Amino acid sequence: MFDHFWTKAAAGCLVAVSLLLTGCGAGSRTAANTATEVACDFTNPPEPVTVNVLAYNSSAVDPFTNTMVASCSHDNVTLEHDPIDFAGQVQKTTATLSGDSGTYDIIESYSFVIPQYGSEGKLEPLDPYIEEFGDKYGLDAINQEMLDSLSYEGKVYGLPMQAQMLVLAYREDVFDELGLQPPTTFAELREVSQAIQDAGEIQYPLALPWLSSSDIGTAYKAALGSQGVDYVDPDTREPLFTSEESRTALEEMKSLVPYMDPQVTTFDQPKVQQQLFNGDAAMGIMFSGRMVDLTKDTNTEHAGDFAFAAPPAVLEGGRQYGALSVDGWSIPVNTQVDKRLLFELIAASVGEDASRASIPAAYPAREGLVTEENSPYATAANEAIQNVPEPAPFPWVAKMSSGTSEVVAQVVTGAIPVEEGQRQMQEIGEQVMAEQG
Amino acid sequence: MRRREFVALTLPSVLVMFGFMLVPLYRTVEWSFERVSYGQAGTFVGLQNYLAALTEPRFGRAVVFTVGLTLVVTVVTICLGYLIATLVNGLGRMRPLVLGILLVSYVIPHVVGAVSFSWLFDSNFGGVANFLLGRLTGGDVLWFTDLWPNRLIIALNVIWSMLPFVMLMILAGLQGVSRETLEAAQIDGAGTLGRHWHVIIPSIRGVLGFAVLISTMDVLRTFDNLIPLAPQAVGLGNESIMLYIYNVAFREGAEDLGLGSAISVLTILIILVLLYPSIRSILKEAKEA
Repeated sequence: MFDHFWTKAAAGCLVAVSLLLTGCGAGSRTAANTATEVACDFTNPPEPVTVNVLAYNSSAVDPFTNTMVASCSHDNVTLEHDPIDFAGQVQKTTATLSGDSGTYDIIESYSFVIPQYGSEGKLEPLDPYIEEFGDKYGLDAINQEMLDSLSYEGKVYGLPMQAQMLVLAYREDVFDELGLQPPTTFAELREVSQAIQDAGEIQYPLALPWLSSSDIGTAYKAALGSQGVDYVDPDTREPLFTSEESRTALEEMKSLVPYMDPQVTTFDQPKVQQQLFNGDAAMGIMFSGRMVDLTKDTNTEHAGDFAFAAPPAVLEGGRQYGALSVDGWSIPVNTQVDKRLLFELIAASVGEDASRASIPAAYPAREGLVTEENSPYATAANEAIQNVPEPAPFPWVAKMSSGTSEVVAQVVTGAIPVEEGQRQMQEIGEQVMAEQG
Repeated sequence: MRRREFVALTLPSVLVMFGFMLVPLYRTVEWSFERVSYGQAGTFVGLQNYLAALTEPRFGRAVVFTVGLTLVVTVVTICLGYLIATLVNGLGRMRPLVLGILLVSYVIPHVVGAVSFSWLFDSNFGGVANFLLGRLTGGDVLWFTDLWPNRLIIALNVIWSMLPFVMLMILAGLQGVSRETLEAAQIDGAGTLGRHWHVIIPSIRGVLGFAVLISTMDVLRTFDNLIPLAPQAVGLGNESIMLYIYNVAFREGAEDLGLGSAISVLTILIILVLLYPSIRSILKEAKEA
């Protein structure tokens, strides 16, 4: 009897604790308590409307999502946002845009996918709404280059909220001790890496996100962009994988391998961050949204030692080994909700107050908000954004990147020679262009 | 049971099976003959997707890897499962507790278990196993970029997650073995091994066949374990068929549903071929019973 009671009591406690933990860990459908409240004065619809928002959770995107959900859920409008990771967003975006009606009314989009969805007519052009509501929401303060990044063939398909650019994070204490300066070219990057390696403290001083299934595609594109070219010649529509610039990009990338962890082709950005947290690397080039984490002493004992700079150029005199990824809000063509109303919701969320509150986690799309006073990597980010390679808003970019990234990984790890890699990539490129028609 | 009651009771299952199994199967077969983009009607392309799949070396590599993994994992889980089930069967009051602990790896979602498992071998995240092996051998093993070390941790993780279920099934079988028969064998002079080989295993042959069947089906569908454990799966040739289908049909920038469907149909055929011996054996046993 006694045993029976205690067994039941223990089982009951276990269930209660499990439910509590599940509840705490499951995330919430409402905006975070810390969301910035802004004015969201839309014209109240006559009937109750539920607006479903699809946006992945990250420290850079959350401030905008939370502001929108918290500030615009009033009167007859209710916004709902379920927590989701980036991979989940990618899947759900494809699904929601595929039919005559979708699950989501506002989706988070980014420069990489805008050309594809724009060319397929799945996103609503926002130009008429920008024209109509530009003054009310101060949209003229949004950076033009970011607006261009979310445009395709002259039409804006995404209202920019924030951008991420590649930034070099380095251990200032290590650099000072060895008398080193932040590298401005890949040749200098090798020299600096060699010097740190020779000092004996850090075996693999350089950390780059070169995950073979995705990030390394971005890296190769950045190395091409640094030399002023892209995957394809936009005039002749010929893939440029067998070009001299492509060979240089691959060889320069390969030349960095001795200074990186031998398993670098399995490293995504969180793993690179972890290397820097652990003190296993002295330099890392990542998107700027990752930088603020390096400065938090709850993450790493080296928090106070990191400094930031614009990334180096592949060759002297070239543009940076850079990439600009702009996040924004898009409205699916297949939404059943009034699109004017939806635009007002997204415009309110990228207002000045919300943008200011997103710093330093994000680099908001509004001009002049990021300064040295409010962001530890402001100077580096501002310099990086000035010198990123030209945007390449073409619908084939995602397919090219996805198709060739594994080959790039094979080349940089030495599994196949550079020429063989170039040949394979050219074949993939020609196939992608043939499918484009 | 009246006809009306029978219909009322079976209808929900029939509807669920139709909606969640037959319709997707029909669409998969249909799309396998089409060029399909999300949200658009497909265009008939005949056997083009099948030709593309069968002439793609990556598909061959995925089949070889998946079948090899299935064979190794099934053999190991059946042997280990039998051993552990025998030990657990001999326990007294401790049996529920030990069983509960053993089932932990089965109830943890594969991807969560695989992430934790990958950290054991990843020096970035502690890498306890890596550290201990490094101490023992004096060298670093590249678990994620070298072919066989990577295959080893994949196989270990799949075994770790599959073993409790196989063990549980065998344990259920062991509990059904007649005590009298075992005592008779002991009186006749059969030793421990002899009793297992000549009495217990033949008695639970049906359960073992079923365990092989379920284990084979589960390992052939290995997918989420590979996300954290084999980040370079494609380049190494450690891509399972399911991961290959995902990469072809759903990955950003790829999204070829027609080709993905053709590979899925081929996979169904491969699974049927591999399961044929188990299904035949179970049917034969059912007939004899």
